[in-house]
Amino acid sequence: MSLKVENLTKRFGGLAAISDVTLDFPTGSLTAVIGPNGAGKSTFFNLISGAIRPDSGRVLLDGEDVTAHSRGDIVRRGIGRAFQVASIFPTMTVAENLMVAVAAHRGQWAGLGRRFPPPGARVRAMEVADLVGLAHVADTLSAHLSHGDQKLLDIALALALEPKVLLLDEPTAGMGPEERWQMIERVQRLWERQNLTLVFIEHDMDIVFRVAQTIRVLCYGRVLAEGDAAAIRSNQAVIDAYLGTEEHAA
Amino acid sequence: MTSGTAMRDIAVAAAALAILIAVPFLVHSPAFLDYIIRIAAMSLFATSLNLLVGGTGLVSFGHGMFYGLGAYAFALLMQRTQISLAAAAGCSLVISALVGLAVGAVCIRLRAIYFAFVTLAMQMLFYSIIITWQSLTGGDQGLQGGIPRRVLFGFDLNSQFHLYTVSAVVMVVGLLLLRHVSASPLGATLRMIRDNEPRTAFLGVTVWRAKLTAFVIAGVFASLGGILAALFVSGAYPELANWPISGQAIFAVMLGGVSTFLGPLAGAAILLALGDAVTRFTEYNGMVLGLVILFVTLGLRRGVLDVLTEALRRRRTGPAAGAAE
Amino acid sequence: MDLDALGRCVSTASCLVTQTTSGLIAGLLLFLVAAGLTLIFGVLKVVNFAHGTFYMLGGYIAFTTLQVTESYTLAVLAGGAAMAVFGIFFERALIARVYGQDVLMQLLVCYAVVLIFDDLVKMVWGADFLAMGMPPAFQVPPLFIAGGIVPPFYAVLIGIALVIAIALAASLSGTRAGKTVLAAAQNPTMVSALGVNTDRLFAVVFAIGAALAGLGGALAAPVRSLTPGMGFSVLIDSFIVTVIGGMGSIAGALLASVGVGLIRGFGTIGFPTFTDGLIYVAMIIVLLLRPTGLFGREVV
Repeated sequence: MSLKVENLTKRFGGLAAISDVTLDFPTGSLTAVIGPNGAGKSTFFNLISGAIRPDSGRVLLDGEDVTAHSRGDIVRRGIGRAFQVASIFPTMTVAENLMVAVAAHRGQWAGLGRRFPPPGARVRAMEVADLVGLAHVADTLSAHLSHGDQKLLDIALALALEPKVLLLDEPTAGMGPEERWQMIERVQRLWERQNLTLVFIEHDMDIVFRVAQTIRVLCYGRVLAEGDAAAIRSNQAVIDAYLGTEEHAA
Repeated sequence: MTSGTAMRDIAVAAAALAILIAVPFLVHSPAFLDYIIRIAAMSLFATSLNLLVGGTGLVSFGHGMFYGLGAYAFALLMQRTQISLAAAAGCSLVISALVGLAVGAVCIRLRAIYFAFVTLAMQMLFYSIIITWQSLTGGDQGLQGGIPRRVLFGFDLNSQFHLYTVSAVVMVVGLLLLRHVSASPLGATLRMIRDNEPRTAFLGVTVWRAKLTAFVIAGVFASLGGILAALFVSGAYPELANWPISGQAIFAVMLGGVSTFLGPLAGAAILLALGDAVTRFTEYNGMVLGLVILFVTLGLRRGVLDVLTEALRRRRTGPAAGAAE
Repeated sequence: MDLDALGRCVSTASCLVTQTTSGLIAGLLLFLVAAGLTLIFGVLKVVNFAHGTFYMLGGYIAFTTLQVTESYTLAVLAGGAAMAVFGIFFERALIARVYGQDVLMQLLVCYAVVLIFDDLVKMVWGADFLAMGMPPAFQVPPLFIAGGIVPPFYAVLIGIALVIAIALAASLSGTRAGKTVLAAAQNPTMVSALGVNTDRLFAVVFAIGAALAGLGGALAAPVRSLTPGMGFSVLIDSFIVTVIGGMGSIAGALLASVGVGLIRGFGTIGFPTFTDGLIYVAMIIVLLLRPTGLFGREVV
């Protein structure tokens, strides 16, 4: 499934968080979105996933306009997302987290006729847990998981909805170097096996340059540059506006 | 496994009902039977509140509105029309569901403390209407004159024993149904909302619909409690709709425990027993109740049943469970 | 419902003056209580359900002080000062234990205090209504303004309440300490990041809030009768005002208090038995149009 945004604009107060952004994410692509803090990356994800409405511009899924549809509707059309801070259900076990997601995906969330979980939900939940390597902690309370496993569970919640497009907001945030690579390898494997159109926000340049097919650089709400790793590395505007500042920050 | 838990709940309910029905043959105390009847009304009310508070994370300060609505609708239908008791009760529940739908549609748009206060305002508005609309409700005197045609499926509710039996059945069946709601897929969805509402929306759940459904269901079961209360006091009085009744339910929920299904039942039983015992010894029952509340909130920090189940779980799973935390 | 009477009242100057005055009194006294409530919520993020108790105790303490000293000024000051001290004690001993816990825990702790002090008041002052009576200096014939009756004490009361309101606004926006409090009301984490001692800040804010409620109770004592449990209706009104104005907003509380006071003033003419109902309706309408109140911020 391809994702396309055209002339997307969002202002907060007088400030443009996203300004006239036009980008194309072809089916099956793996794209990194980078940019300094405040570049509008998370706002960009919020606009695509229906969390906030754009002031103007369009979001197209396989050519179909889904701009400003509800969060639920956009999810049902196949855009899943995971969050910068793992967004899970802390009082439930890993399996329960995934079972409620599966029930939601199957439209069984309002059911009153039978007990939870609905038939088949557990099997499917365990499949998803397996995909991200959380099967061994299926019965652990999710609040007790390690930080990295909570991020994985967040991604798994999105995967339970069988998305065609997956948006990951800093999948490696808050992790140590080794853990980061494990996480990003998992993500890469998921992308290959699940045939996803994957877009991720990332600060670690090594990861971005090594993993992403295409890189989009946002700066002050605008697209500063796009291209593969080599092109971005040698782009003078990027070096000036972004890499320079990031270097001494890191 | 799914039907297994349902069967277990039904077995527990059946056993509880058998014991309740046996009680009058073993204990010859009218005061005790009255106590159980009051628990029946209060526990349905408190447990339905907990579907919102503990089950969905919606703190309602105005749940007593539905308790009062059940009592008034039922008493009015019995006094002003000729329909049977069962029909009047059924109509009252339908009325409560409709009012719950309208009130809920307004309230669930608001978040956190604003939700709490707008529910309280709704209840106080309802109370003001009761006080003002004297020709219908009897104003601050309430609906006196008793409840006629107190017969239900051959049970003559003028007899304390029959009223007791009916109340016990209604309580057990009502609680079993509420248990089923919280164990259903909808119940799981409500827990998602309690834990993390934005994430729930991102998983494709229409959050307002789930919340509104919970609000209506809770209202219906609270008004079922109100109907029992109206039968017990033979009428409907403004106190059944005023704010302290909501305060009592909140306290019963917190006293018994929000995370255990039977917590509010235990809380209602303790609260009523406490009230009865204290009024016998002192006119300053508010002070005693206040001290008990301080002990529970600052001492135990959780409801009684929550503390007990946690202790049981620790004992069962051993120190390993403690280490995992 | 008597819309004719309301129409007649609004079109005659004397009735207009009388009802506006009584509405303003009710509104400004309410503002003192509600300002404390909204301040405490803004800074501490605690909903103080025991706020009505401060109001009640302020009234009773003023009553006894007046009997002993025969000075209304001293009585009012005593009511406010005693509640400031009591507020600190209450915050440190009880509320400090439930910070960050869910609102039900806070509700219950406060509710316990309400129950305990209602009974304590019953023990000390008795369960019957007490009338404090007008201070002797004000036992003079009423003023007639445009044909409307305005007792001089009412005028003084409005003046005092206005002075306190202005002093509060000035000290909040004009002094360094006041600015810290306002900043804390908007963003508590930022203030603790700036190195302000939040424990002390919280205690001080609670003392100010409690003192305002105590002052409100003491000022109102001559025009209303005292009874155990009198705090509740004031508490409900303060909540309504706080919610309509937006929780944490002083300006919102002022606007809403005067609004509620005027609804009461004129509601008694047009809807004598449904005045409370009118106020609940007003609150529900405001919340429907602005879910966080007139001046409220998005709740997190």
